[in-house]
Amino acid sequence: MKQLTWVLWPSFVVAGVAEVLFFTLIDPQQLYLFGEPVDWSRMTIYSLGFFALWATCAGSSMLTCFIQRDAAEVNSCLVAAACKDRVALRR
Amino acid sequence: MSAPTPLSGDSAAPVQSLYEARKNIHVRSVSGRFSTWRWALVWITQAVFYGLCWLPWNGRQAVLFELAERKFYIFGLIFWPQDVFYLAVLLIIAAYSLFLFTAIGGRLFCGYACPQTVYTEIFMWIEEKIEGGRNSRMKLDAEPMSARKFGLKAAKHGIWIALGLWTGFTFVGYFTPIRTLANEVLSFNFGLGPWETFWILFYGFTTYGNAGWMREQVCKYMCPYARFQSAMFDHDTLIVTYDAERGEPRGARSKKQDYQAAGKGSCVDCGICVQVCPTGIDIRDGLQYECIGCSACIDGCDQVMDKMSYPRGLIRYSTEHAMQAKWGNKEVFAHVLRPRTLIYGVILALIIIAAGAALALRMPLKVDVIRDRVEQAREDENLMIENHYRLQIMNVSEVPQHYLIDVSGMAGIFIESERSVVIPPLTTQSVSVEVHVPPASGKKGYNRIYFAVKSLNDERIAVREKSNFLIP
Repeated sequence: MKQLTWVLWPSFVVAGVAEVLFFTLIDPQQLYLFGEPVDWSRMTIYSLGFFALWATCAGSSMLTCFIQRDAAEVNSCLVAAACKDRVALRR
Repeated sequence: MSAPTPLSGDSAAPVQSLYEARKNIHVRSVSGRFSTWRWALVWITQAVFYGLCWLPWNGRQAVLFELAERKFYIFGLIFWPQDVFYLAVLLIIAAYSLFLFTAIGGRLFCGYACPQTVYTEIFMWIEEKIEGGRNSRMKLDAEPMSARKFGLKAAKHGIWIALGLWTGFTFVGYFTPIRTLANEVLSFNFGLGPWETFWILFYGFTTYGNAGWMREQVCKYMCPYARFQSAMFDHDTLIVTYDAERGEPRGARSKKQDYQAAGKGSCVDCGICVQVCPTGIDIRDGLQYECIGCSACIDGCDQVMDKMSYPRGLIRYSTEHAMQAKWGNKEVFAHVLRPRTLIYGVILALIIIAAGAALALRMPLKVDVIRDRVEQAREDENLMIENHYRLQIMNVSEVPQHYLIDVSGMAGIFIESERSVVIPPLTTQSVSVEVHVPPASGKKGYNRIYFAVKSLNDERIAVREKSNFLIP
């Protein structure tokens, strides 16, 4: 739960800021998607844009969470995995 | 960071968690001076939030951030994406206000005006009305599920969700005209698009989740302000403080006992200050980052002091310096003005004055000059050089405007195309302009010229934009 908060919350805040900056400077009706002008309503593009930004930022937060684990945590996973293999081999 | 743990051979090493598991906090309600202030601010902020979106102005919504049209209306002011400068200024003003208020009074915003505090206060009030006071709630939560418990919980969550949805609807009503939105919601006809419905539900359930379930966890784990508040605090910042010197050694006693003779301090150790704390801390342990400065403990303690006939203020707003030097209120207030607050105050005042002036002098007309890139220049039948331009004229005012376009900067320069244009309110129109110049009046290459657009309705409305004229 805490991990989920760490991933989803900061990315939500940053995505909100990025959304405001991006769409203040760029009118979504002037965007092109796969070479075609986007013909969705502005509300749709704002909403989808927000989720795209949120997902991108969440990816970054997830990586941060993933690589900030210290040696002990990473090693404990390695050992646990090795244990499982040993148990599997014995059987 | 979690504490390094020894690597054991065959099992996953236990990882120490940063946070303890959350215990449900049953906050005891409190009344008193500061609680009255907080309720006053709940009423003011919510009257503005729920009410302002219904206020009409010039036949439109007074405050509307119309995302679909990319125009923000705030009473008589209309902001376009080109006005992003004002948004930046607004953010700077907000930041400096926060610095100033925090330096003077600590977490005033958190304790009294933050939406998290305000909605938690409202939601806790509803909870208390349905489930009863702190003791009945604790009893109810410990009970096994029964028809009565289910009924109470269902009623509470039902009202919470309804209030959350109303809040979500109001919030979306600031971005989509609220009367249209209301008609659509009432008739279950979501013609504007499904996104409005989605955001009403999203914001509604966020309110319900944050004020009903998350509560102090938002302040403790999610709020960035709680983490950097110490950067704005100094020894003269007013904070909620327990007077340990007066209070300790704490202990229970009878009202009649001469506690000083018995070697006791003023604190009767009743635990009220902990029970009323929305973040569940004990203020007697000193300043903690979890303290949102709501002063519920001050109100709670003052009541107990009154009952014991002790002087109030065992827990009070005070500063670190005041506690050390045993200052009275007079000295504390004298230290409100100090270099830090003066600098914040002066910067804030200058920015507000500059922004106000810029806003007052704002031209309700914007012009962008775009050169025709296809045909750079050509010679006309009278051997004059001809350049083509497109003028994007934005009438930012709320009345139609009749504009006259002029050109200057070179000898004999004139416009051959239509020079007069009428543009409806709040509209951008693209006007094609043909400019002619005798070939001898400029050098080969680009020559600086100026377009002037002025309103015939109001002579104060005029804009001059520069461009280039190409002589091949």
